Amino acid sequence: MFIALIAATAATLAPAPLIKMAIDKGIVPGDLTQLNIAVAAFIGFALLLWATSAVQTYLVGWVGQRALQDLRVRIFEHLQTLSIGFYSRKQSGVLVSRMTNDVQALDQLVSDGIVTLFQATLTLVGTVVILLWLDVGLALISFIIFPLMVGASLAFRIASADAYRITREKIGAITSYLQETISGVRVVRSFGQEPRHVAAFSELNDQNRVANLKTVYLNAAYFPAIELMSAALTVAVLVYGGFQVIDGSITVGVLVAFIAALNTFFDPIGQLSQLYTTYQSGMAALDKIFELLDEEPDLVDDHRAPALPRINGAIDFEGVSFRYGEDDAGAWALRDISLKVPAGQTVALVGSTGAGKSTLAKLVARFYDPTVGSVLVDGHDLTKVRASSLRSQLGIVPQEGFLFSGSIRENIAFGRPDATDAQIADAAEAVGADVFIQEMSAGYDTEVGERGAQLSAGQRQLIAFARALIADPRILVLDEATSNVDIHTETKIEEGLRRLLAGRTAIVIAHRLSTIRSAGSIVVLEHGRIVESGTHDELIAAEGAYWRLYRDWATQAVA
Amino acid sequence: MDKRPERIHLHARFLTQGPERLLHHDNTTLCKALAIFFRLIGFLRPYRVGVIWSFVLASLAIVATVSIPWLTGAAVNQIDSGDKSSLVKIAIAIGGVSIVRLGLTVGRRIVAGRISLGVEFDLRNRLYGHLQGLELGFFDRQQTGQLMSRATVDLQSVRFFLGYGLIFLIQSALTLVIGATAMFILNPKLAAISLLPVPAVVLVARRYGIKARPALQEVQQRIAELTADAQENVSGVRVVKAFAREERQAERFRHTVTRVFDQSMYSTKLRAFYNPLIGFLPSLGLVAILYVGGRDVVNGSLTLGGFTAFYAYLLMMLGPMRTLGVALGMAQRAAASGARIFELLDREPRLVTPAGAPDLVAGAGRVEFRDVSLIYEGATENALTNIDLTVQAGTTVALVGTTASGKTTLSSLIPRLYDATSGTVLVDGVDVREVSIPSLRNSVALVTDDPFLFSETVAENITYARPDASVEEIEIAARRAQAHDFIEALPEGYNTLIGERGLTLSGGQRQRLAIARALIADPRILILDDATSSVDASTEHEIKEALRAVMEGRTTFIIAHRLSTISLADVIVVLERGRVVAHGSHDDLARESELYAAIVEKGLPDQVFLTRKPVETEVVGL
Ligand SMILES: Nc1ncnc2c1ncn2[C@@H]1O[C@H](COP(=O)(O)OP(=O)(O)OP(=O)(O)O)[C@@H](O)[C@H]1O
Ligand SMILES: Nc1ncnc2c1ncn2[C@@H]1O[C@H](COP(=O)(O)OP(=O)(O)OP(=O)(O)O)[C@@H](O)[C@H]1O
Ligand SMILES: [Mg+2]
Repeated sequence: MFIALIAATAATLAPAPLIKMAIDKGIVPGDLTQLNIAVAAFIGFALLLWATSAVQTYLVGWVGQRALQDLRVRIFEHLQTLSIGFYSRKQSGVLVSRMTNDVQALDQLVSDGIVTLFQATLTLVGTVVILLWLDVGLALISFIIFPLMVGASLAFRIASADAYRITREKIGAITSYLQETISGVRVVRSFGQEPRHVAAFSELNDQNRVANLKTVYLNAAYFPAIELMSAALTVAVLVYGGFQVIDGSITVGVLVAFIAALNTFFDPIGQLSQLYTTYQSGMAALDKIFELLDEEPDLVDDHRAPALPRINGAIDFEGVSFRYGEDDAGAWALRDISLKVPAGQTVALVGSTGAGKSTLAKLVARFYDPTVGSVLVDGHDLTKVRASSLRSQLGIVPQEGFLFSGSIRENIAFGRPDATDAQIADAAEAVGADVFIQEMSAGYDTEVGERGAQLSAGQRQLIAFARALIADPRILVLDEATSNVDIHTETKIEEGLRRLLAGRTAIVIAHRLSTIRSAGSIVVLEHGRIVESGTHDELIAAEGAYWRLYRDWATQAVA
Repeated sequence: MDKRPERIHLHARFLTQGPERLLHHDNTTLCKALAIFFRLIGFLRPYRVGVIWSFVLASLAIVATVSIPWLTGAAVNQIDSGDKSSLVKIAIAIGGVSIVRLGLTVGRRIVAGRISLGVEFDLRNRLYGHLQGLELGFFDRQQTGQLMSRATVDLQSVRFFLGYGLIFLIQSALTLVIGATAMFILNPKLAAISLLPVPAVVLVARRYGIKARPALQEVQQRIAELTADAQENVSGVRVVKAFAREERQAERFRHTVTRVFDQSMYSTKLRAFYNPLIGFLPSLGLVAILYVGGRDVVNGSLTLGGFTAFYAYLLMMLGPMRTLGVALGMAQRAAASGARIFELLDREPRLVTPAGAPDLVAGAGRVEFRDVSLIYEGATENALTNIDLTVQAGTTVALVGTTASGKTTLSSLIPRLYDATSGTVLVDGVDVREVSIPSLRNSVALVTDDPFLFSETVAENITYARPDASVEEIEIAARRAQAHDFIEALPEGYNTLIGERGLTLSGGQRQRLAIARALIADPRILILDDATSSVDASTEHEIKEALRAVMEGRTTFIIAHRLSTISLADVIVVLERGRVVAHGSHDDLARESELYAAIVEKGLPDQVFLTRKPVETEVVGL
C-alpha cells in the first residue's frame, strides 16, 4: 500500500518538472526529440498515476473498510458480554447508533484520511527541503506557520471537542427516539398521539441541527484562519525577500522560485488542517465507541471457570437476597431466599404481582448475580461456572416473549440451530402449536415479523414455548408461559408437559392457579420473601397466603 | 471487476415481501437517477436565497484567490524595478485581499453549512412525519432498524451532497466552462485539441454512474440490514443470553458485516477504476497540447508566451476537474440514498380519511360490525370472516375464543388500526372510515395484549393519552388499576423513570400501568385485550371491582381466557377461526358453546373448593 501511495504521490508531482523540461529542453531550443521524450514520459506518468491511484484507492479502501467492519464486530461482541442489567439502563437505540452512525462517521476519516495524510505529509516534507535549499532565511520565516498552526489546531480542538461530542449524542438521541416510537407504534396509533411525537421528534432533530451548526461555525473559523496565516506569511516573505532582492542579497529568480514553491507548501498545510476537522469529528465518534468498549462486563465468567457438566438439575438457593440497581437505595426484590429444588421436581412459584417470582427465575439463569448468598445447581455455585454452559442446559419461556424476525422454523430452532424438521415439529406439537402452524400460508416458513408482530399473542407464546423445549433442557423455567393462551390449548400443553417434564426440573410461575395444582411443591412469595411452601393440599389445609390467593382466584372463577 | 458480490437479499426485508418490493437494480434508468437528483435539489427551494449567496460568496472568493497570484506578480515587477514603497503597498493589498477572502470563505461555509443542516432537518422531519402517517399494517412488515437507517445514515449522505457537493459540482463546472471559453478565445485550434478527451470523459462518467448508483444503493441497503440486525440483537438480548446463543448471533452479525464489506469493496473497485480514469483522460489533452503546441512554437506559428499562457489555463482546470470527480461521487451516493428515502416517502398511507372528515359524533358507544371480513396483507386466510355483531352502548362484551381466533383483530378494527377488507364497522351509527381518525381514536382506549411502555416516568406513561391530566387524575387512574401502591413504593414514586418497554417492572406492574393509561383517557369505548393475564387473582379481583365502576356508561370489550375476567361481561361472544360461533349470556353459552363450557368446567373444581370452605371465606372476608 505504501508503495502505491509513494508512487501515486510521485506521479502527481511529475507533470510540472516534465513540462519545464519540455519547454526548456525541447521547445525553446527547438529540439523535437527532447519534446517527444517529454511527451512520452508525460504519458508514462499519467498511466502510472492511473494505475497507482487505482491500486491505492483499492488498498486504502480495503484497509479502511476492514477497520470499520472490525470495529462493528468488536462493538457487537462486546455488547454481548455485558449483562442484562446494563441493557436495562441503556437505550437500545443509542447502542445501535454506536454500531451504525458512529462507525459511519469514521468512514470519511479512514477512506480519505489516510491518503490525504500520507500525500500531504510527503509533499510537505519535500517542499520543506526545497524551501531550505532555495533560501534558509526566507524558509525560516515561512516555517512560522508551524507553531501558528499547532496553536490554532489546539485552540480548535479545545473549542470543538465538546461540540463534536454533542453531535454524536444528538444523533444517538434521534436514533433512539425513532427506535422507541417505531416499536411502540401500536400504542401511538391506538391513542392517536402522532402529532405529539412528531413535535418531540422535531425538537430532537432541531437540537441535532443546532449541535451540528456549532461545528460548522468552528470549522468555518478554523480552516480559513489557517489560509489567512498562509497568506500573511506569503506577504511577509514577499516584503522581506523583496527588500533583500532590492538590497541585492538574493536574486529575483530565487524569490520567484521561492514564492512558487510556497504554494506547494501551503497547499498540503491546508489539506492537513481540513483533515484535522474530519479527524476531530471522527474522534468524537470513536470516543463514544471506546466509552462503550470500556464498559466493564459486570457479570464476567472467570476465564478459568469450568464448564458445567451435564446436570441433573437440583437447584439450591442459599440465603439469597437481591436488589436491582447497584446503589443501596434500591428496594430488595428478594430477601433471604433459601430454597431447595430436588432434581426432576416441579416447583410452582406463586404470589402477587411484583412479589419477585420472575426475579427468582432470572437468578437461576444467572441474568443477575445475587447481592447476598448464592445460587447452586447440582452443588455448583453459578458464579463459578461458565454462564453459557449453564444456559445451554436451561429452557426458558420468559414473561415477555420475544421473537426474532424470520420464519417460525428459525424461531423454534433458535436454541438449537441444527434441529431437524422432525424435532421442530415435535416441539411444536408438544405445545399444541403444530395445528396453527400447518394452517399458515407457508407453514413453518411463515415469517413472524419483528417481535412476532404478524402473530397473535397466544401464537407468540406458543412459539416461545416450543423454542424452550427443543433444546432438551435439563431445567425448564416457565414464567407465565401460558398466560395468553386459551383453555383448550392450555389443557393440551399440560398433557404434553406431563410427558416432557418427566425427569426434568421445572420452575413454573403462574397466576392461573389451576395450572399449578399438580406441581410437586408450591412456593409462595410475598414482597420478595418466601412465606409458605408445600403441596397444594398442604397449603390449602394450612389456610395461609396460598389459601387466600386460591380463594380469590376461585371466587372470581365463578363470580 | 471480477466477481460481483451476490445480489441475493438474504435478509433484506424492507419493502421486500411480495409486491411491495419497489427497488430495482436496473442499470437502464439514468433518467431515474436524474429525477431523484432534481427531487433532492427541490429540497433546496426554501433556501434558495442562501444557495445564491453561497454561490456569490464562493465566486468572489475565487476572484480573490486568482487575484493574489496576479498581485504577487505585480509585486515581483516592483521588486525588479527596486521600488520599496510600491512593494509595501502591494503587499498591504495582498494582505487586504486575503482578509476579504477569509471573510468570504467563512461566510460561504456558514451559509452552506446552514443550508445543508436545514435540508437534513427538513427531510428528517418529513420522513418521520410520513412514518407517523402510515398505517399500522405497514409496520407489521418492517424491521425497525431498516427505517432507522433511512432516517440517519441515508440522510447523512444526502446532506453532504446538498451542502457541499452540489456547490462544488456547479462551481467546478462553471470554472471549466469559463476556462474553456477563455482557451477558445486565446487559441481555438489548441483549445479544440485539448478538449478532445471531453466526450470520452462524459462517456466514462456516465458509465461509472450507471454502474455505481445501484452498487451504492446496495451498500446503503446492506447498512440498513446491519442496523436492523444490530437493533434486533440489542432488543432481544435477553433471549440470546437465555439460550446461550451469543456465538451464533455474533456469527450471523459477522456475516451481515461481511456483506457490507463485500459490497463496499465492490463499489470501491468501481471507484478505483473509474475515478483515476476520469483523471487520466484530460491529461491526454495536456499531452496533445504539449505535442502539437510545442511543434507550433518550434515552427514559429505560436509564440512561447502564447503557449505558456494556454498551458497555465489548462493546468488551472485540472483542479476543478478533480473536484468535479469527487462531487460526482457524492452525487452518486446521494442519489442512491435519495432513492431509498423517496421510496419510503412515496409509500402512500393506505388508511386515510377523506379530507375534511367530520369528528365522531357524540354518542354512548354503540359498536356495530356489518358483515366484516379481514385478510391481513400477505396472509392467505381470512383473520375475520363475515362478522355481524352489534354491541349496545354501555354494555360489556367478552370476546372469547381459542388462540388466533381473531379477538385482537376484531377489537383493533374499532379504533381503526386496520381497515376491514370488506364490510363496515360503525361506532354510534357512523362508519369509522368516514370520521376523522384522531376523534375516533380519542374515543377508544386500548390495553394491548403486549403492554408497551415508553422509557419515561411512570406519570408520563399514565398520562400518555392526556398529557394535561392533573396529579389527582393520575392517582385516581392508578388506584383504579391497582397500581398506586406499587408506584408509591418505587424509588421516586410517580417520577420514577422506567426502562425501555417498561422492562424494569414486573409483568403485572406493566399491565396495570397500561390499564391506568387507558382509564385516564376517559374513553367512550374501552378495550381490554388480555389486560390482566399477568396479574394475580387477588389483585385482579380488586381491579375488577374498580372496573365495574369505570365501565359504567362505557362500552367495554374484554378479551380474556379466564372465567374470572369474563365474568364481568353482560354478553359473551365466542369466536372461532375468525367467525362468531356463539353469542349470548353466560347461561346460554354454557349450554351452546363447547369452548365456553370448557372454560366454565375449568373453574368447577374451584366451586367445589368454595363450597367446601364457606365459613372461612366469610371469616377472612370480614
Ligand atoms: N430490571 C429491573 N430493574 C429494577 N427493578 C426491577 C427490575 N425488574 C423487576 N424489578 C422490580 O422487582 C420487583 C419484583 O419483580 P418481578 O418481575 O420479580 O415480579 P413478579 O413476581 O414476577 O411479578 P409478576 O407476577 O407481575 O410478573 C418489582 O417490584 C419490580 O418492579
Ligand atoms: N399483523 C398481522 N399480520 C398478519 N397476520 C396477523 C397479524 N396479526 C394477527 N395475524 C393473524 O391473524 C389471526 C388472528 O390473530 P389475533 O391476534 O386476532 O388472534 P387472537 O384471537 O387475539 O389470539 P390470542 O388469544 O392468541 O391473542 C392469527 O392467525 C394471526 O396469525
Ligand atoms: Mg390477542
